[in-house]
Amino acid sequence: MNIVIDGKTCEARPGEYLWDTARRNGIDIPALCRHDALPGRGCCRLCIVENENAVGSRSVIVSCVFPVTEGLKIHTRSEKIIRFRRILLKLLIERAPQAEGVLLDYCREYGVAGNGELFNDNTNEKCILCNRCSRACQELGNSAIQVTQRGIDKIVASPFNEPSPDCIGCAACARVCPTGAIACTDTREQRTIWNKTFEMVKCAECGKPFATAEELEWMKPKILDFESNLAYCPRCRGRHVANSAMV
Amino acid sequence: MKKTILVCCGPGCIAYGGLDVAASFREQIATLKMDVKLETVIKQTGCHGFCSRGPLVRIMPDDITYYRVKPRDTEEILKSLDNKPVGRLLYHGVGGNILKQQETPFYSAQKKLALRNVGEIDPKNINDYKARGGYEALRKALTMEPEDIIAEIEKSGLRGRGGAGFPTGLKWRIAAEYDNFPKYVIMNGDEGDPGAFMDRALMEGDPHGVLEGVIICALAVGATKGYLYIRDEYALSLQSMKDALADAEKAGFLGDSILGSGRSLHIEVVRGGGAFVCGESTALIESIEGSIGEPRATFAYPTEQGLWNKPTIINNVETFINIPLIIDEGGAKFAETGTPTSKGTKVFSLAGKVRNSGLVEAPMGMTMRKIIFEIGGGIVGNRHFKAVQTGGPSGGALPESLLDLPIDFDTLVRYGSMMGSGGMIVMDDWTCMVAVAKYNIEFLAKESCGACVPCREGLRALSMILTRICEGKGEPVDLEIIKSICELLTQTSRCGLGKTAANPVMSTLKYFPEEYEEHIKEKRCRAGVCSMGRSTVVTDSADMAAIVAMAEAARKVSYGVQSKDKTGAES
Repeated sequence: MNIVIDGKTCEARPGEYLWDTARRNGIDIPALCRHDALPGRGCCRLCIVENENAVGSRSVIVSCVFPVTEGLKIHTRSEKIIRFRRILLKLLIERAPQAEGVLLDYCREYGVAGNGELFNDNTNEKCILCNRCSRACQELGNSAIQVTQRGIDKIVASPFNEPSPDCIGCAACARVCPTGAIACTDTREQRTIWNKTFEMVKCAECGKPFATAEELEWMKPKILDFESNLAYCPRCRGRHVANSAMV
Repeated sequence: MKKTILVCCGPGCIAYGGLDVAASFREQIATLKMDVKLETVIKQTGCHGFCSRGPLVRIMPDDITYYRVKPRDTEEILKSLDNKPVGRLLYHGVGGNILKQQETPFYSAQKKLALRNVGEIDPKNINDYKARGGYEALRKALTMEPEDIIAEIEKSGLRGRGGAGFPTGLKWRIAAEYDNFPKYVIMNGDEGDPGAFMDRALMEGDPHGVLEGVIICALAVGATKGYLYIRDEYALSLQSMKDALADAEKAGFLGDSILGSGRSLHIEVVRGGGAFVCGESTALIESIEGSIGEPRATFAYPTEQGLWNKPTIINNVETFINIPLIIDEGGAKFAETGTPTSKGTKVFSLAGKVRNSGLVEAPMGMTMRKIIFEIGGGIVGNRHFKAVQTGGPSGGALPESLLDLPIDFDTLVRYGSMMGSGGMIVMDDWTCMVAVAKYNIEFLAKESCGACVPCREGLRALSMILTRICEGKGEPVDLEIIKSICELLTQTSRCGLGKTAANPVMSTLKYFPEEYEEHIKEKRCRAGVCSMGRSTVVTDSADMAAIVAMAEAARKVSYGVQSKDKTGAES
């Protein structure tokens, strides 16, 4: 099926979300809470676009969770959308003035700056509550962290802010975080994340610390016969597997 | 002749001692047994509505209503049963005392459809409900085709009473058409608006009426499982609905084969999670599923993908209680009441600075002036009316110039407010409209689910700006920021909470712009509510301790309290 985005006719696949259609067709729509590996959540609202109906009236929709249908006519950079994105970015950078990464790129692109003093007294915040971390944890089947409280008091935390027995220290949450908000301290011996400290396991070949013991334990039942491979870091593992295959 | 004494035991009257009055009646009947020749039945009923004059006692069939009854009055009332009524407890009208409820100004303009049984029956007794024609609609519905039930509801023009006003018949038709089983029916009893108590009165006063509506809905759409989602703070409602479920099941109105028809329906009660946002239908569904109560981000409606992604009907308590009436009397009869686009009646909880606060049921299309000044009796202390907030915290405040608007779903939305679930808070000229907007925004900021950015961060920003204005630190540019955030909220929020959250600010800004101007430019609050940064504000515990000590000293002086407590120690 075909849809029109910013005047360009784009080929869309059934069941696809509008954001993905746009990306495949070379049209970039900004997004913070969206991640390829995670289910859509539609909470940062940066990916809003305007949908023009048959009689020409427009409504704002959220492209990362909007299923494409035949004949859509979409405007991704109308005056209104740009204005809304600027307010959204302003609200976000005021909330989380210490945020790193892509949020800053967007702020530069849209000409927005903030220091956290306008609507908030907390100038140390990095988290924008996109929920990527909690969704990643949930998708992996651990659900060690989740959003808690509601409204303006909402935060991401482990249960009661105590070390969670379900946390395996995989740091997937920190890896998907778009603003560098999750504190994860790695030394050669230990990793500390979400108030919990883990012993690092070193690669049997190169000696580099590459995972926590709990993480490897968690992976074991999932990779069945290849248990012995877990002794190696991902880099050495490939070489090891190749070598053993050649013997 | 058998007489019945109805003692109102709605939440308002319980607070005034309604249960004590009922107990006292029982006691007096036992002790006065020899003197009383008539058989008297005491019933603890649901809310009679006239909460500001509780506890209410009504003698039937004479239809005499007494107000503000105390336990010490019960003996006198019992002795008067076949004599002259107790004059001092009657309603004192302009032309003398009024015996009948219907003749008092508070009741005479009302039309009771949803509240038809509330206050008339003992909610704990299923036979009371049956005696007033209860469960007859269900029997009739069992003989009808689902299609005909839906057609009847469509004919009635009934629209959802939860706030949005979606046509109920259409909703049922959409869900009925999906060939995807099992289907679910959910009653939304998560009433959370400050100052609203309509659904509560219905669940506590006529639980079987609500339940019958739910069962008929299940028959119409083909649902086999139902949930009653009830706000956890409503302990009485929870108990009342649980009891009703058990009694209905015993009587065969629920279960594997409803009245032997072979159609099955099982219903369970779910206690709400204590969040305002769970009144939003998809958040409510998430909550029942055991997830965090956040509205869903999808573009699919619950009628297609609801609970466990199956077709689901969610209706408000008040919507359901209208259903048996429509099936009984026909949709056409129901449609006789109301305006062309909004049919039937609406229950309002009238609160704030109004003389007769309480539960009011008015036909759609009645003017707000009539509700506030006729039924409500005008403003407390003869002060000037300033505004009325309809639709709860996400509704808008409407000024005096709009008081003659007919109340229906579409009119209120056109003027920047909404029907909501029916809260109506009256404000006098001692109310600061900026402070009202700030109060509502702070409520919403705390009760937003916090998932989407416009709602969470936008409300935080609005709340900060309004606080600044109320403290006398506002600047003219603040109004521009407020307007742009309000536009963002309305158009980009994920659910109804965010989309309507700008109403309290936009409506006060539209109808009372001068108050914002005064706060910002003249640093003045005409109602004298906002401190504007001048008054002494208690900031730390040392100040607090000093003030407590001063108050304590003042109390001792004025009441001559001895400075020794029970243990004899110097306080």
